[in-house]
Amino acid sequence: MTASRTREKIGKAVFAAAAIICVIAVVAIFAFLIVKSLPAFAKLGVWDFMFGDTWSPDRLDTYDAPLSGTYGVRTMIVGTLAATAGALLIGGVLGYFTAVFLAFYCPPRLRRILSAVISLLAGIPSVVYGFFGIVFLLPLLSRIAPNNGSGLLATALILGAMILPTVVSLSKVSMEAVPRAYYEGSVAMGATHSATVFRIMIPAARSGITASLVLGVGRALGETMAVVMVAGNAPTYPDGLFGSFRVLTANIVMEMGYAGEVQEGALVATGVVLLLFVLLVNLIFGAVSGRVVRAAVSHRRNPRRRMSRGGSRPCRRLWEGLSLRLHRLGDGLRALSHRLRLVRLGQGMAVAAGVLTGAALLLVVGFIFAKGLPYLWQNPSLIWGKYEFGSHRITILPAIVTTLWAVALSLIIAVPVGVMTAIFLNEYAKKESLPVRIIRTAIDILAGVPSIVYGLFGMIAFVPLFGGSSSILAGSLTVSMMLLPTVVRSTEESLRAVSDALREGSLALGAGRLRTILRVVLPSALPGILSAVMLSMGRVISESAPFLYTMGSVISALPHGPLDGGASLAVALYQLSGEGWYMNEAYATAVVLIAIVLALNLLAEGCAARLERRLKGETNAKR
Amino acid sequence: MRKDKNTAPAQEFGQSISVSHANLWYGDFQALRDVSIEIPARQVTAFIGPSGCGKSTFLKCFNRMNDLVAGCRVEGSFRIGEVDIYGKTDVNDLRRSVGMVFQKPNPFPMSVYDNIAYGPRTFGVHRRAELDEIVETSLRLSAMWDELKDRLGRSALGLSGGQQQRLCIARALAVRPKIILMDEPTSALDPISTGKIEELCETLTESTTIVIVTHNMQQATRISHKTGFFLLGELVEFGDTDDIFTDPKDSRTERYITGRFG
Repeated sequence: MTASRTREKIGKAVFAAAAIICVIAVVAIFAFLIVKSLPAFAKLGVWDFMFGDTWSPDRLDTYDAPLSGTYGVRTMIVGTLAATAGALLIGGVLGYFTAVFLAFYCPPRLRRILSAVISLLAGIPSVVYGFFGIVFLLPLLSRIAPNNGSGLLATALILGAMILPTVVSLSKVSMEAVPRAYYEGSVAMGATHSATVFRIMIPAARSGITASLVLGVGRALGETMAVVMVAGNAPTYPDGLFGSFRVLTANIVMEMGYAGEVQEGALVATGVVLLLFVLLVNLIFGAVSGRVVRAAVSHRRNPRRRMSRGGSRPCRRLWEGLSLRLHRLGDGLRALSHRLRLVRLGQGMAVAAGVLTGAALLLVVGFIFAKGLPYLWQNPSLIWGKYEFGSHRITILPAIVTTLWAVALSLIIAVPVGVMTAIFLNEYAKKESLPVRIIRTAIDILAGVPSIVYGLFGMIAFVPLFGGSSSILAGSLTVSMMLLPTVVRSTEESLRAVSDALREGSLALGAGRLRTILRVVLPSALPGILSAVMLSMGRVISESAPFLYTMGSVISALPHGPLDGGASLAVALYQLSGEGWYMNEAYATAVVLIAIVLALNLLAEGCAARLERRLKGETNAKR
Repeated sequence: MRKDKNTAPAQEFGQSISVSHANLWYGDFQALRDVSIEIPARQVTAFIGPSGCGKSTFLKCFNRMNDLVAGCRVEGSFRIGEVDIYGKTDVNDLRRSVGMVFQKPNPFPMSVYDNIAYGPRTFGVHRRAELDEIVETSLRLSAMWDELKDRLGRSALGLSGGQQQRLCIARALAVRPKIILMDEPTSALDPISTGKIEELCETLTESTTIVIVTHNMQQATRISHKTGFFLLGELVEFGDTDDIFTDPKDSRTERYITGRFG
């Protein structure tokens, strides 16, 4: 019995150690951000840095000497906000109506196909979107633009397309979660389908829809590569729909490769500013989803009533007057919309948006495949050809191998640590105790850090560890930090979904905690964990910003081991499309990239479904 | 060595339960008030009472499942045979000797065979022949062998609710417990499955002590030798089942069994 007790203790210690690694990762990132940005903030002045509108760094600037460059990021803050707003306008509106279409107007068979396509599109790498922007959107826009088409409009369109899947799938889920009884109640009183949809169903799903938009905003804020490829990147204000401008993420990725001392500090500080925006968005998201939960618990959806209960009396009276007026305004608007038959308009919009989204998505993938597949067919040596120095015959075999290395290494690091942390949090730690809350908050914050900030961290913290030049190991370490929150969260979610009755059943038979976890809880949670692993794989393959300066950006020879560097597939696509004279190769690379990601997604779904079925006992695969 | 591990836990637990002056709190809420009871060996003892009266809570003290509830505090002496189970006892050993069947069937998502073998495997039985024997004996004891012998490899989740519950009983039997606790084991089942489980209880008393919590007073009269009536955390009355239902000493017991509250 003592042997089993020792085993229990060792198990717990190992899980706790994993959780501590997570905390160390978070602390390291924050320490890095603070230590690196504080001198810059001190030297440049917080105010001048945030609100100065000239960015002209001098890489020779040091902290000891007077500055010769100017460091102000106001143009980029404005640029980031403008790009995000544009993306929300396009992707948000289109996504909202597409979700309405899918949830309420779409024939079932089309819905299944379209939903699957949209969720697959969520996995398409951002460089592919950026590439599509370069080869399709910019030439198209240049016909009406004074420049080559780059600028705010192109950025907003590309970012909009990128947040579309997020908005559509989350809104759709919350719309479908509205009880069927609401619909029946409304229709039973003689309301039309559309009136029911827009007056009953959508208002009931409002908080979920808002949350999906907020998440979309978060994604748009942190996006780097796609924006870099179509925004132009001159450090100026976005001037109208066209014209070069720069966002915060782009600022980091444009200059971190060759930054001097103060410049580097200023870039980290840019990351801090970016992170502040993202955290703000997450805070709003937390508030929104918190309200959803509270509303669900108290069965009260009207926040006005709750607010009017608290507060001092004059304040309350003011509020009641205001809300009365708001109500009247609302009634007026509703009467107007009834007279204008806005519901019909909404119905039309929904159908149009569904069709448009489908068409746009087909266009992105179709265009790239149409251009890339024939080339790939005629030049298969692109994929498996041997690298020759100085040759014009490009081969992406090294990039593929590098990508595989990165996938393997980062999963080997992130998955065990993440899964064990989740086990510690969910199975061992006392819920709601202070350390647990700290770990959870840390992981939430880690999830919000934009990928380019990880890249910056990896470049400054990991690259010097392994000989000072980029290496697969440094890149994988960087990305595995980025994967941690995803792995921890989704593992925890699937652990939480395992019924406590199973744990009790095992414990009541005299099994210890460790055995209960390993034999009963983990197998039940396996489908969820597996799909998290697959998604993480997809993410490693798609990411480019964190790899650019940690793993390398040169398409060269095959790597011999994890200490060699080189471009991953996504980075290779970025390089090829930027240089301009390997466009065919770029198309083909994009095809390979999309094919891998899509295959992975399908595989993940298939695996999860199969495991799920086996767990439910519908097939008898065992024995 | 291995044989040793299998056959005997470190401590020898008896088959009777003796509790004196038990008090239990969930945080600030006192769920049990000064409960004392002597549960005889190899009989069926039933706990009845309205919802929230503490009967399930009391039951879960016997195998210390209450340890899993945050903020739960227990006072008083709980003895199984001679062993003070809240003293220097290995909880896993205790739970091996005091098995439990839950309100809702909770088979593990594994095959029927693996479900039953789970307990023995936990305590170090790994030889296939030995496991096969344990599985068969347990299924025979719970009268399921004929139903299930051809589908041992199938997932237990494919069984019906009644079969799942009886499987859970077989699973509990596989570690040869001295006592089995049943927490409303038939409340989620149809009458036929309920009947089968009640029969099973009767046969099991040849070797095992059974303590059963039930909402169903007919069930208590049908299967139990002793009955305890709980109300608001107190053990109001405890005695032979026949006496409790025909000649209750306490007026509260009488009002409950004649259906006037609860």
